[in-house]
Parts: sequence; structure tokens; C-alpha cells
Amino acid sequence: MEHDNRKSRGLNRRKFLSGAALGLAGLALPLDRADASFWEAFFQKHFREMSDAEIGKVISRLEKECEKTYKKAITIGNEKALPGVLFGYGLDLSRCIGCRRCVYGCVDENNQSIDPQIHWITVLRFRKGEKWVDLENSEKYYNPDKVPQEDYFYMPVQCQQCENPPCVKVCPTQATWKDPDGIVVIDYNWCIGCRYCMAACPYGARRFNWAAPNRPAEKINPKTHYLGNRPRFKGVVEKCTFCIQRTRVGRYPACVEACPVGARKFGNLLDPDSEIRYAIKHKRVFRLKEDLNTNPKFYYFFAYGK
Amino acid sequence: MVQVIRNFFIALRQIAIGDTKYYAWILFLSFLVALGGSAYIGQLNKGLIITAMRDQVSWGFYISNFTFLVGVAAAAVLLVIPAYLYNFKPIKEIVLFGELLAISAITMCILFIMVDMGQPLRVWHILPIIGAMNFPASLLAWDVVVLNGYLAINTVIAFYVLYRLSIGKEYKMSVIGPLIILSIPWAVSIHTVTAFLYNGLSARPFWNASILAPRFLASAFCSGPAIMLILFQIIRKLSEVEIENKAIFKIAELIAYAMGINLFLLGAEVFKEFYSGSIHSEPIKYLYFGLHGHNNLVPWTWFATVLNLSAFFLFLFPKTRENFITLNMACIFVIIGVYIEKGMGLIIPGFIPDTLGEIYEYTPTMQEIVIAVGIWAVGALVYTFMLKLAIPVYTGRLRFFSRAQMVTARDIMSRRIASVLPDTSIDELARLLVSRHLPDAAVVDQNNKLIGTVSETAIISREVCRSTGKKASDIMSPPDAAITEDMKIQELGGILADRRVDRLFVLNKDNQPIGSVSGSDILKAIEEINRE
Repeated sequence: MEHDNRKSRGLNRRKFLSGAALGLAGLALPLDRADASFWEAFFQKHFREMSDAEIGKVISRLEKECEKTYKKAITIGNEKALPGVLFGYGLDLSRCIGCRRCVYGCVDENNQSIDPQIHWITVLRFRKGEKWVDLENSEKYYNPDKVPQEDYFYMPVQCQQCENPPCVKVCPTQATWKDPDGIVVIDYNWCIGCRYCMAACPYGARRFNWAAPNRPAEKINPKTHYLGNRPRFKGVVEKCTFCIQRTRVGRYPACVEACPVGARKFGNLLDPDSEIRYAIKHKRVFRLKEDLNTNPKFYYFFAYGK
Repeated sequence: MVQVIRNFFIALRQIAIGDTKYYAWILFLSFLVALGGSAYIGQLNKGLIITAMRDQVSWGFYISNFTFLVGVAAAAVLLVIPAYLYNFKPIKEIVLFGELLAISAITMCILFIMVDMGQPLRVWHILPIIGAMNFPASLLAWDVVVLNGYLAINTVIAFYVLYRLSIGKEYKMSVIGPLIILSIPWAVSIHTVTAFLYNGLSARPFWNASILAPRFLASAFCSGPAIMLILFQIIRKLSEVEIENKAIFKIAELIAYAMGINLFLLGAEVFKEFYSGSIHSEPIKYLYFGLHGHNNLVPWTWFATVLNLSAFFLFLFPKTRENFITLNMACIFVIIGVYIEKGMGLIIPGFIPDTLGEIYEYTPTMQEIVIAVGIWAVGALVYTFMLKLAIPVYTGRLRFFSRAQMVTARDIMSRRIASVLPDTSIDELARLLVSRHLPDAAVVDQNNKLIGTVSETAIISREVCRSTGKKASDIMSPPDAAITEDMKIQELGGILADRRVDRLFVLNKDNQPIGSVSGSDILKAIEEINRE
């Protein structure tokens, strides 16, 4: 009798819970999306637990969805990290003129939302000669007629692709991780939007989709990567991926190409002949907030005087 | 099964039926829940953009409330220790209400996390096995484990105690003792883990101080018990539950110590930050004095400081803590003071200035506040319903159906009986009883209806005194002492005793004998029930 009680109570509770879960799901479910692909997306597995075939299926579903939304064909690639490659970035502070061409080059390449506005690169302006490691004295919203301004210098900041990334450590669902080529990536289909990574990032590199991302179809870059610049969703985190869709096929990141003064350097840290290795060897480089032991692969340096 | 369903309906009826005041309160809370729910649907549609949170301040009012409520939940332990470990009777009698408060608080905590999530439908990603829980690296994964564990422990303890009370029995320490012992470090753990969640982030110097977890605990042991003190007085006033002043004053004394420690730890932190004055002190400067003209939190911080200090002194002196006017003032001061200090006062400066030095001032939007109020109303509703059920159980006015009340004659009777027609000869009857080892037989008519009984002794006396040739009908006794199959076990004992017999036939609706019940059958059944 006692035993029966327990059994039936358990059953009731389970039924109640699943009923409640369904009810909640129904509540949250926009009616027009209540179709098969919604449930496919809902039950999609963790990216690193899927086989290539499963990833292929997911990607074709996502491509179809994108095409429906933007009325144009969008390819979602899944290029893997190349063996023997560890990407590193160099930024010459003595050359940067604060023009923000990198910011907009990045936005156009990586399909960031225009309204609400999302930028993966922040350019900070400092007054020359002031205590400038104190980031609090920087200005993010500077807006003069002409750059560079006398008395100021500029420091662009984006994801530093830490070797020891605090954001990856804190993510409760393993939705963000460091790939073998050192790029910290996010699976936008797995992120629950808790924003713990944003609290953990010492570089303010992560951006949240506070609303549904909004970008006109004609401005969508159709060449995308699953872990990079594919269209994102409301309620997930995104950030710079060193243009994973370009760099994994041997191209430079968009910001490197956009820079009119050649302040941005990019290359393979494992290749002794790369430009980035040259800069690290011959310039006085530093990394942001070294004391935190995050070990960024983003090097700042001053090149004048050679 | 029948019993479970029946008890479920008893519980449901107890919750559903109340007086006008009760309905008014439920209606009021439901209205707030509905308001919060509709605001939340708006948030689901538009996204978290309806809040004032942005990339710079990426956690706000929801997480502030969550943090405060973890403290309230953890504070149940302040009652559990004196109640169960030191057997302090006045508190032992009310510890149940503390545990129920913990259940409501954790429910609210989970809801606050849910509404803060950008993709709430993906919540299962955080679970082990079916999801990809990042355990043990992520402190948020730890928090999922400890918060749900704490909810489970308290639910089991509280509802086990209630269940035992409801069937009129003492709870067994051998069953919940280990759970109670476990709940003590567990309560400390939910607050420690929540503190570590912030504490572990080197990116946020304001949180990255090892004093954070002790401060969390100390302030939790102020605000949680203060809420309980207010609730206890309300419970005492509105119901027959007796809560001794002694228990209330003892808790007030404990709050005084906790507040003393809390103020000391806060002072230690304030000293370190301001005296060393590194760039890592900017957040606390923002909190107390404002930064570059941004000072949204400053009046609140000082308001909380004044409240906490005055509450400390009100709790400290026996004269003021044993006077209900000053005691309640102190409670309200401490609840508001800690709510500000541990809520917005802790979360927001973690983000100001942000990691790139920007100052974005955060003030929750109306929608955020409405959603938060809705969640608080859910918590109040949960607590109200639990009290509505627990109080009458506790005072003994509500009793569930238990096995003992459900057991009927049919359940315990022996089905081995002998029925004979009235014209059966006594010889035959005697043979029948001997061969089947039965002490008596039922005499029935053509329709198997009982018309009398013949016992061994009746046959023996007839056999000895008279010659043979008689029939059963000649020696049977009238069937006055018979019981029906649906009689409850309690009644049976009484009937047996009244009639001074030790065995009776059990009849069905049609008066047909279907079994028999003896004194030893009843004893056996009672013993079995007690053993369960």
C-alpha cells in the first residue's frame, strides 16, 4: 500500500511537470513558429556532440530559415580549425587614427544588428599623457569632425581570444569554447542567454541580443560560418571570432583589411615567419590586463622609432 | 491509491475554501501575478530590451532580487540549528514555517533566474546528461545543483513532517534526521555558491573580494529571520498556532549577532577599498559617493546604511528587541536595508564602471519592476497556500484519511466460513466443523441469507444432553451479532467488546455471510498498520 502510494505520487508529479513544461512552452511559443522546424531546433544537440551528418542537417535547416527570413540564399559553413594554426592579432597603437573603419568593416562582414546597434569592436580614445591604462579615463563615444585629433590616441578593443578565457570557464552550458586554432566561439543555438560570460569577460568583448537582431536583407553578408557571422537570435550572446569564416580559409579578418593605416596585424602564432611573430619579437608588446592571467592572443604595441 | 486521491482532494479543498479575507488576499496576489505574467509575455516577445539592462550592466534588478532571496532561503537554517540540534522547544515548534518560507524563497529564486534568461526554453541545456552542464567549472552549474537540492531537501522535510502530523503521528527522526543535518551545511552552501558566482570573476574587482561569501551569509542571517519574525506574528494573529514570545525574542537576539558581524565585515571591506584607493576602488566610490557625477545609487546606499545601523542597535538591546513596536521597526529596517545592500547595492556596482571604464547608470524599467512584483506575488501565493494547508494540520484540526481509517471488515476478515441450511442434521454439522477446523457455522436460508448461527459449544451441549436427530435450526442462536462488510476497523472492536463475543460473521448488502472477523484478526490488522 505504502509502496503503491509512492509510485502513484511520482507518476502524478511527473505528469504534472511535463504538463506544466508543455504549458510553459506553449505560452512562450510564437504561433507562427509552431511547426516541425521549431521542435527540431528545440531538440538540437550540443554542437560538439553532433556527427558531421547531424551538423549538415542542422545547417541546411538553418539555411532554409535564413532564406525565408531574408529572401536570399545564405550559406552557413562549418570549416574546422586548420592543424598547426594558432591565430594571433597585433595592433599598432602608434598608427591607429581612431577612424572606426574597422568597426564598420566588422559590422558589414559579420552581420551585426543595426537596430539595436551591435559593434564587436570598441575604439577607446585617451588623452595623451594621462594615466591611460586606467580605462575609466577613456571615451568610447567620441565624435569629432576629423580624426586623428591632436592630443589624443586611440585603442580599439575586441575579443582578445584568451588562451585562458574566463567566459568559457563560467558558461553553465558549454555553449562557448576555445577551438584548436585559439578562437573562442559560441554556438548561438545552445546559448541560454544567462550572460554570465559577459560578467566574466574583462575586456567588455561580448554583446547580447537584447532584442531580435535587425539587419536589412540587402546588407546581409551571405557567406557565413556556423560559429561566426551567421544571423543570430534574440536572447543570445555574440562577439568577435577573428572572422572565423575568412581566416579559416586563408583570408585576413575584415578589420585588418578595413584599416587604412595598417595598424592591424594578423597571423599564425605557430609560424615563426608570420608578421605577428615579427611584431612580438621586435616591438615592445603588451596585452590588456595581463595581471588577470587570461593570456590574450591580442597584442598591442607601439611601432614608431622602428 | 484511493487514499492518495482522497487526501489530495482534502488538501485541495482546504486550500480552495476560506473566508472572505482569504479570498481577497488570493485575488490580490493573483492580480499581481497576472500583471507580472503579462509583462513577462511582453518580454518574451520583444526580448530583454524592455529592461534597462544593456551590455555594460548586463545583470540588474532580476539578479539583485535573486541574490537577496537566496539569503532568505538560506536563513531557514537559523531556525533549524536551535530547533533540531539544541532541541530548543519554542523554536522547534515553528521551524516548519521557516522551512516552508525557504521553499517559497527558492521558488522565487528559480523564477528570477528564468525571467533573466534570454532563451528560457533552452533551460534544459544546463542539466546534466540531457544537457551539457559545465560542472564543476561553472559556478552557475553549481548553483543549479545546490538550489534545486535545497528545494528538494526542504520540501521533503516539511511535507514529511506535515504528512505524519496529518495522520496523527509523530515524525520519525530516524527518517528525516539525516536530511535535517544535511540541510544545515546545504543552506550555507547555497549562499556560499551564490557568493562565489560573483566572487570568482577577476574581471569585476568589486566582487572579487574574498570577504564576499562571509558577508553574504551574515546579511542573510539578518534579513531572512527578520522576514520570519514578521510572518510569525501574522500567523499567530490569524490562526490558532501558538508561537511563544520566547522563540521570537531568541531569533531577534540571533539577528543582533548576525547584524554585528555583517556590519563588521562591511566595515572591513569599506576600509580596504577606500584606504588602499587603487583603481579597483572605483565601484565602491560609485556606490557611496558617485563617480564623475553619476550617483543613482548613492541615496539608496546611505538609506540602507542608516537602516542597518539603527536596526542593529534595536536588535542589540533586550529592551528594544523585546518590545514589539521597536522589534517590528527593526525587522522592517533590516529587511529593506539588506534588500538594498545585497540586491542592487551588490550587483550594480559590479558593472559600474564597466570593464572598459564606461559608466552606464542602471535604473530598472517599469516592466522589470512589474515582472519582479509578479514573482514576489507567486512566492507569497505559494507560501499562503502552504500555510493554509499546514496550519490546520499543525493545530490538529485537519486530519487526512489514513490506512487505519480506511480499513474495513472486508479487508481483514477471514473468508473461510461454513454455511449450512436450517435442516442440516447436527451430526452432519459437527462433522463439517471438525473437518474444517471451524468454531461455528452460519445458518442460511435458500437465498443464502443469514438466519442464525451455530457454535461448537451449542452443538456440544446439545449432543451431550439430548439424543440425536435434531436439525441446525433447532439449536441456532438468532443472528443479532453480525457486522456488515463496510464497517470500519475501529467500530469492529467496539462491537466485539459490547457483545462479549470473539468472532462475528461479516454480511454483505444482501445479508449473506461472506466471512468472519475475530478479535485476533483485528489485533493483527492494527499491529500491521502501526508497523508501517
